[in-house]
Parts: sequence; C-alpha cells; structure tokens
Amino acid sequence: MNGALGPEYMVVLGVFASMIAVMVSRQRTIAAYWAALAAVVAAGIWTAALWSSPALPISLYAQGVRVDLFSLAIDGLVLLASAGALLVGWNDARYGADFPALVLLALLGMMVLGLANNFLVLFLGIELLSLPLYVLAASGGYAESREAGLKYLLLGAFSSGILLFGLALLYGASGTMVLTQLANSSLILPLAGAGLALTVVGLVFKLGIIPFHMWVPDVYEGSPLPVTTFMAFGTKVGAAAILLRFLFYGFSVAVGWWEPALGYLAVLTMVAGNLLALAQKDMKRLLAYSGIANAGYLLVGISAHNQAGARAMLFYLLVYGLAVLAAFSVFTMVARERNSVSLNDLTGLARRSPWLTAFLAVAMLSLAGIPLTGGFVGKFYLLQAALDANEPGLAIGLVVGAMIGLAAYVRPLQRAFQGGDGTSEAPVRWPVAGAVVVVIAVLGTIGLGVYPAPIVHIVNHSAAFDWLR
Amino acid sequence: MFLVWLLAVPLAGAIATLLASAKGAKVVAAITSFVALVGYAGLLFVNRAGVNWPWISAWGVRFHLEADGLGLFLLGLNAVLFVVAILASSEEMGRVYYFWLLLLEFSVAGLFAAVDLFVFYVFWEVLLIPVFFLLTQWSGARGKAAALKWLIMNLVGSFFLLVGIVAVAVIHHQNGGAFTFEISALSGMTLPAGAATWLFVAFLVAFWIKAPLWPLHGWMPDAYGESPAPVTALISGVLSKAGIYGILRVMMPLFLPQFRQFQLVLLILAAIGLLYGALAALRQNDMKMVTAYGSLSHMAMMALGIFSLTEVGILGTTYYMVAHGLMVGGLFIVLGLLESRTGTRTIQDMAGLNKSAPRLAAYFLFFVLGALGLPGLPGFVGEYMIIQGLIQSQVVFAVVAGFVLVVAAWYMLRVFQAVMQGPAKGSAIRDLLARQVAWLVPLAGLVVFIGLWPAGITSHAAPSLYHVTHFLAGKGGGQ
Repeated sequence: MNGALGPEYMVVLGVFASMIAVMVSRQRTIAAYWAALAAVVAAGIWTAALWSSPALPISLYAQGVRVDLFSLAIDGLVLLASAGALLVGWNDARYGADFPALVLLALLGMMVLGLANNFLVLFLGIELLSLPLYVLAASGGYAESREAGLKYLLLGAFSSGILLFGLALLYGASGTMVLTQLANSSLILPLAGAGLALTVVGLVFKLGIIPFHMWVPDVYEGSPLPVTTFMAFGTKVGAAAILLRFLFYGFSVAVGWWEPALGYLAVLTMVAGNLLALAQKDMKRLLAYSGIANAGYLLVGISAHNQAGARAMLFYLLVYGLAVLAAFSVFTMVARERNSVSLNDLTGLARRSPWLTAFLAVAMLSLAGIPLTGGFVGKFYLLQAALDANEPGLAIGLVVGAMIGLAAYVRPLQRAFQGGDGTSEAPVRWPVAGAVVVVIAVLGTIGLGVYPAPIVHIVNHSAAFDWLR
Repeated sequence: MFLVWLLAVPLAGAIATLLASAKGAKVVAAITSFVALVGYAGLLFVNRAGVNWPWISAWGVRFHLEADGLGLFLLGLNAVLFVVAILASSEEMGRVYYFWLLLLEFSVAGLFAAVDLFVFYVFWEVLLIPVFFLLTQWSGARGKAAALKWLIMNLVGSFFLLVGIVAVAVIHHQNGGAFTFEISALSGMTLPAGAATWLFVAFLVAFWIKAPLWPLHGWMPDAYGESPAPVTALISGVLSKAGIYGILRVMMPLFLPQFRQFQLVLLILAAIGLLYGALAALRQNDMKMVTAYGSLSHMAMMALGIFSLTEVGILGTTYYMVAHGLMVGGLFIVLGLLESRTGTRTIQDMAGLNKSAPRLAAYFLFFVLGALGLPGLPGFVGEYMIIQGLIQSQVVFAVVAGFVLVVAAWYMLRVFQAVMQGPAKGSAIRDLLARQVAWLVPLAGLVVFIGLWPAGITSHAAPSLYHVTHFLAGKGGGQ
C-alpha cells in the first residue's frame, strides 16, 4: 500500500471527525469546520509528499485505482477547491451543521474520480461526488435552494442512469472493466460505439457541456454561495479528470469515434456559453454560464488529444478555479445576508471598497483571458494544444468564445467603477476566512500570469501520456 | 539595463501613486515619468543593451527586450509624451487616474522593446486595460460606450493575432525548428501556402484596428472625442503607433512574400483611408474631431509608406511615426488647453482668440503647421520620404498622397483661422500659464530638432530594417 491512498484516507477521517464534532456539541459548531480544514490540509501535505515517490504509478485493487502524478495533480486541485469552499462558507449560520462533512464527502468523490481506472470506481466516484452535492444545493433552506437541490437530483440521477447504461454496454462489448485494458481488448463495434456515446454523454453532463447544460444555471443560482463556489470549481475538476482518463486511457486507439464529436461540442459550448453569459444580470448566473463556457475550453484540451492538450487542461483548471474562488468570495462579501448579487449591487463598488473591486477585476480579467493573469496563460496553452493537433477550428472557436466572454466579464467591472446611487455607501465588511481565500486566489492568478513556469513544469510532469504526440 | 529602467520605473511609480495622497498623486506621477525620461536618456547615450531572460522555458518563451533602431525612438516618444501628458493633467483626477497612466507607460514601453512574440502580445493586450478604465471613468457622457467599443474592437483583433502567433510558432516547430517565439528566429520561415494568407490577415487585422486604419477605425471617433485631452494625446500620439510598429516589427520579417502578393490591395485600402480621413476632417465642426480624422489620414500615410515596400518609404514611416506622435500629441494637448478655457470644441462658437491668448495661438499654429507638413518641421520630412517611396513603386498613390497634403493644409488651417483669427467673439480667455509654457517649449523644441535633423532617427532605423530592405532590393536575404 505504502500510503498511496493516504490523501483519501485523511479526507475520510476528516468526514468522521467533523461529524463527531457536530454530534458531540449537538449543534452547529466551528470545531466541525476546523476538523474539515485540518483534514484537507493534511491530505494536501500527503499529496505533496507522494509527488516525488519513486513507486509511482501505483495500481491497486486489481487495477481498480491508479495513483499517478495525474491523480495527485487532481487531488491538489480538488483540495484547493474544497478548502476555498469551506473558507467562503466559514461557520456561516445559514447552512446546516453538516456543511463541512458534506463538502468533504463530495471532495472524496472528486479524488476517487482522479484515480479511477475501472468502470465501477468511476461510477462510485460520480455518485460519491453527486449525492452530497444534491444535499448541499438544497441546504440553503429557502425555496430556490430546495428547488435547485431537487432539480439537480432529478437531472443528476437521469444522467447517472445514462452513464451506467453506457458503462454496462461497454463492459458487454469488451469484457473488461479496466480502462487501461480497454484499448487492447477486441471491441464488439456497434455495442461499444453506443456504450462510448452514452458514457461520454453522462460525463459531459457533469461537466456542463452544451447541450447537456440545462441544470447548471438554475442549480448555481439557487444553491448557497459557498456551495456554488465548490460546484463551479470542484465538480469541474472531477468531471474533466475522469473524462480525460476515460478517453485517453480507454479510447486512445478509436479516436475517430469521439474526437470530432467532442471538438464540435467544445466549439458550440464556448461560443453559446459566452453568448448566454452576455445576457445575465445575476452574478451567479453569469458565472454559471461562464462555467459552461469554461467547460468548453477544457474540452478543447481533451479533444485536441495530445500531451499538450492534457497539460493545458490541467493548467486551465487551476487558473479557472482560482478566478472562480476570487470572484465568488468577493460576491459572498458583497451579498452578505442575501444569497445573490445582481449587476446593480455592484454599482459604485469601487468607491465603497476599492481593494475588493481590484480583486474582482483581477478575477474577471483572468476569466476574460487578459495577459499578466493566469487566464491568459491558460488560454495560450490551450491554443498551442489545439494548433499542435492541427485543429485550427478549435483555436478559432476558442478565441471567438473568449471575445464574446470578454464583453460579459467587463460589464460588472464597468458597473463597479461607475458612480454609486448613494444608497449604500458603507464599505463592504471582510470576514477573515473569505479575505484569506480572495487574497490567495488573486495572488495566485497574478502569479500564474506573470511567472507560470513552475506550474507549467508541474503539469508537464503530471500529464505524461507518453503514447500521444 | 536602462531598458529595464524604462519598464520598472513606471510600474513602481504606478504602485506609488496608489499609496500617495489624492493631491500628491500627480507629483508622484510627474516625478516617475521624469525619472523614466532620464532612463531613456541613459538608454540613448550610455548603454543600449537589451535583456534576454528565460520566462517560460517549457514553451521557449524568453523575456527578450531590445532597443534597436525601430523601437528606440518610439520608446523616446513614449517617455516624452507621458511626461507632457501627466503635467497637462489636472490634480483633481485622483490617484487612480495616474495609476492607469503609469501602467500604460509601462505596457507601451514593453511593447516597443519586445522582440519575442509572446512578450509582444502580453504588452499588446495589457495596454488595452488602462485605456479602458481611463475611458470608463474620466471621460465624457458617452465614455462608457467608447470604452467598451475600444476594448472589444481591439480585442477582436488581438485574439486573432494570438491565434496567428501560436500558429506561427507551432508551424515553425512542426517544420523541425525549435519551439520559440523569437521574431528573429521565426523570420523568413516558409509557411504552408494555405495557411500563409490566413495568418497574414489575422496579424494584419489586429494591427489595422489598433492604428486605426480605414475601414476598421470604428472605435476612434468615440474614444478620441470622449477622452480627456492628455489621454487623447497619448492614444493618438503613442498608442496608434503600436499598430504601424507592429506591422514593421512583426509582420515584415514574417510575411514579406504576402506583402508582395497583396501590395496593390493594401495600397488601395490605405489610399482610401488617406482620402477618407482628410475629407472627413474637412467636414467636422468639432476641432478635436478635425484633428482626430486628420490623424486617421496620417496613419494611412504611414501605412502607405510601408506598403510601398521600398527602403525609403519604410524609413519614412519609421521616422514619421515619431514625428507625428510628438506633433499630434502636442496638438491634442493644446486643444485641451483651449477647450478648458472656452468650454466648447465647436469651431463656429469661437473666433479671434489670438487677441486675448497670443501665446496659446502661437503654439496652436506651430503644431497645426507641423501636422500639415510644413517644410522644416518633421511632418514634411516623413511625408516626403513616403511619397518618394511611392513614386518608386506605384506612382498613382504618390499623386493621391500629394493631393491629400493639400487637403491637410486646408482642414488644419480652416480650424486655426476660424478659432484664432477674425474678430473676437465671446469673452476673452486666459493665456497660457508660465508652468504650461514650461513643458510646451521643450516639446516644440524637440519637434523642431528632429525636423531639422531627421538623419538622427533614420540613420539608426536603417540598420534595423536591413534585413527587410535587403530582401526587397532582391539581393537575397530571406532564408
């Protein structure tokens, strides 16, 4: 074993610890948050320690899971996402006492998705990720939140069914459940084709790719802000990781079956997602559509199907996540008691809280892909991947999407720098935990834009799909 | 290291303005820009060494800056005009205004020094952001719309430029070369026939919008009309040169065969722009818009110089860029001083102002004469060289350019005559203050100096263009 699954065990321990903390005190308690955060930090340290382990890659449980640098990178990303979500919602009385435990459970699902090398583990990870999120989405206690939870549950269960059906067909067509053995098995063609299509549909549903995106805006809008933060970053990492693993390990041979289809979906998602973002007045919905569009960018990395694509996708996940963390923590501070932020709430923010506005500006410009922020470097990497795969269409789709997105992202900024109406001139209050998130996320975003070399080095190692170009 | 100075000082100063008091920000900014100007003097007279540091080694990106003859004087234009623009700005603007101004100086300096395409692109796009916020917050009633138009039009161009840059690097790599964004390494590479035209257009559109050149000048009237005078001076004096400079720096080495192939189309487009700008300037009643459209026409003149594809034409353009920047920058600032005194820009509302403000009228006349190309002032030298280049390649366009020179004299003098001469109308205005003369004199002096000694610039630019001109003369070159 040599501790390869240590990070996952730490998270399991954290789930128990934070639940016990709630049981002991019989009410919501800050101890649960501390326990959860400690587990995340411990798992992060363990992940970092595993990084240089010579034993990698390690296959466990009859090749059911595969711990390699890719899974460790995914671990790092989802740990960051859950730490951000915990801090954004830090000890907030509006959410149930079980908020930290549920976040950790979903985190565990995302980590499992990073390591899955088997259909069953894949499905386990998807369910482990989804079930706590259904509860979390409904945990706001107000009508929109319950609606979001129910909507997410119904549509999520539907997509899980499709996914399961697809996996069953693939097993029938190949006789194996192990992703890395799929490539060499002789597939029964029509069956395998149908299985592949259904599985991919099930997975891109979680990623929020158009036309399987209908749930995203409503669920993001209805869920409490910290949960939306977590979904926007964490779920995307988990879904992208398993899609990449599934296709790159299992179907690197039969690329003709999925590459063009995913390419078209990526272009459609990037362009339409940004167009829809343009029309939004509610910031959560704006970031929901932005999340859809960004899922399209991630799909560019996957459908480019080369090493650069996988690396660019990993890099982009980080820059997107940091921008989302920064934007959502600013929105949480601006929203205070309420649960949504509209364009009007931002009017005159620059005068009320200049620093907060500056942070928001960095996050939005990073999402828009302006240089000296991480978002630019991420898009640059994706462009390299697309053009290296001789797919100029993907590159054009990416920049057209980015152009449209830009208009969507600068509108809130223009509002923020505009004069206020004088109604609420009081500066926005900064909770300490939220301030930690926003400062780290903004520094990271700028750092990745100014000197990305170390992170580029890390993703180049973690996405070593040597059989690709 | 003076090159780093030119970048680091404005960046540090930008942060310092944020920490300064609201009233002290202008002083901090003025000192910063002056220190940057001193750094430029060091670059010019002491040491012109560039820097070449690894940045993202996995992609072959290097932070490579050079001050060769092409960019050297544009860096100077940048340093000079920012000092003037900051001194011409009001203290009331607040610290964030000066923060954006200095950030703009930083990014433009980076742009004019970059010889790595990645670095070039980073600065190319970063400079949009300060202008966007300057237009959003410190401009007229329609400033917000002007800002959005500026950002979106320019970014549409830049994103295609981005695809083009990555595609060129990837093609170079796939052809067996190293993965690099170094312009000198990529120059003269063979592009696949199908891709070459598309890439050429992708690059050209970005530069065409930024200049701006007709018909992609849609952002220009609003941005020029709405922005405060110092910002207009910077946009038209410095930023517009970025487009022309980009064609010279980036496109010439990469796309010479395509320039040959499309020369006639490009010349026709530029000539239309030349006429359009001049005729539109003639029809304006807003003195700032006359200058704006006149500037549009002058940008087309520079483009004609490049597209003549002759050594003298291209040299004329590199010279005219600097000269035009100084003159039009000065002109916009003088117009701003005039507007702040009269409260209007409509030329029919003003007359005979030279009675009450003779010094202001004198500087106005000086920059007007420079803009219309009076011999002895630098505009004439640049236009002369460009027309000589056109005569060598396509004489028809030389005739058009000559005609436009006449129109230019007409529209510029029309403004001067209406505003300054004739019987005085309305109340008298205050003349220039001593502190305003203090920075207008050096600017005017500099204009006269480079007008009298053009070789100071052209002799430096010529070696930098050696590769291009050599190739054009058919003496080999290229690969």
